[in-house]
Amino acid sequence: MKLTLLFSAIGIISIVLQMSLLHLLPLGPVVPDLILVLCVYLGLHHPSVGAALGSFVLGYSIDVVSSPLLGINAFAMSLVFLAVYLSARSIWVHSPLVSVVIVLAASLVKSAALVLISALFVSMDGVWETAIKYVLLEALLAAALAPIVFMLLQRSRNLVQQLSNAHE
Amino acid sequence: MLAFLRRNQILLSSCFCLILSLYLLAASARGQLKYDPVGSAVLWLVRPLQSGAQAVSNWIKEMSQSPVTLANLRSENDKLRKQMLHLEAERNRLLEGEAANKRLQELLDFRSQVPSGSVTAAIIANTASTWFQSCLLNKGSADNVRKGMAVVSPQGIVGQVVSVTPQSAKVLLITDANSGVDVLVQRTRSRGIVSGALDGTVVMKYVKRSDELQEGDRLITSGLDGVFPKGLLVGTIGKVRRQQAGLFQSIEVVPAVHAGQLEEVLIVGGDAPAPAAKG
Repeated sequence: MKLTLLFSAIGIISIVLQMSLLHLLPLGPVVPDLILVLCVYLGLHHPSVGAALGSFVLGYSIDVVSSPLLGINAFAMSLVFLAVYLSARSIWVHSPLVSVVIVLAASLVKSAALVLISALFVSMDGVWETAIKYVLLEALLAAALAPIVFMLLQRSRNLVQQLSNAHE
Repeated sequence: MLAFLRRNQILLSSCFCLILSLYLLAASARGQLKYDPVGSAVLWLVRPLQSGAQAVSNWIKEMSQSPVTLANLRSENDKLRKQMLHLEAERNRLLEGEAANKRLQELLDFRSQVPSGSVTAAIIANTASTWFQSCLLNKGSADNVRKGMAVVSPQGIVGQVVSVTPQSAKVLLITDANSGVDVLVQRTRSRGIVSGALDGTVVMKYVKRSDELQEGDRLITSGLDGVFPKGLLVGTIGKVRRQQAGLFQSIEVVPAVHAGQLEEVLIVGGDAPAPAAKG
């Protein structure tokens, strides 16, 4: 329960940061995707039914605040969670370097899902050109953020668990 | 059966989420999602935090634009430094107040020119995605803001309200690839559709090759899309490229408004003509 509250709070803070302060970075239209990194973390280190639903809700929240089409980011984040969860079952992923690679791959999966869904449902002009232009940059940014975000999440999680143990 | 469900519960819940997302996508694409209680709850939760974060963001932006930097101040002695910081803060506060006053006065003047029932709103958030160009306003259905209303500023049009909650409204900017605004070239009266592209540029589509357009030509709303009042400035033509073949020419547009630099906007219904906006 406490961990659910922790991840919910981190999710809300990530969305707020993504909508405001991260826009101050001189990266053009590219916004660092903290939500994606959070979904990857949930898939790697906290796989549960709650985490699967959490990834969906995080994606849905981005849809609510940013996307003209409800469900597009919810689909992408659910897909990312599923892909990470399945890969974590067969690969040893508990090292910072591997987590960087996983986040890079997850970002590419997310972008591929967004491009395909956009092409299917909204037929946006220039979707492929933009995909080529920004997908790699977005993925590299997310991968670069991964070690520090993972470390912060792990520390927050440990702290909550220690507090719970002390309370008991 | 129960053991199978228990063993694969994460996998099955992920698949359920994927199917639910696809259902939402299909319903949303067909415009069947009329009421979204989850979205309203998310916005209710995010809105107060977002207002605070946006204020911090604006403050950082202002500070980074300030002509006096800390590097210059290091060479000053302590007394002068304190005095300068105090005076600078006072000056910034006054300048900000003056700028806000000017902006709001312009908005007020502009408001008297657009159809009645317009609502003044502040931008409280930018897009959270690289893929979509939108922003969030601090007024919603409780202030009579409705889906489909036009969002404008004294400099020109900003976008269209695509969803509302009681306390906020989501605006699809004209720079988004999903947007489309029916426009007229003010000089030649040629018609076309202005739309965004995913790379952040804005283009004018469906302009006949025979139409003689020039760089710098002003584009105004035609009023025919039923969203934007006629005569509002959309932008100017940046570049005209006549292709070897095809019915239409390729035109790049410089939008009149950069939403990232806006703080207040006006939300209007698209049912009456309005005079041309300030260029």
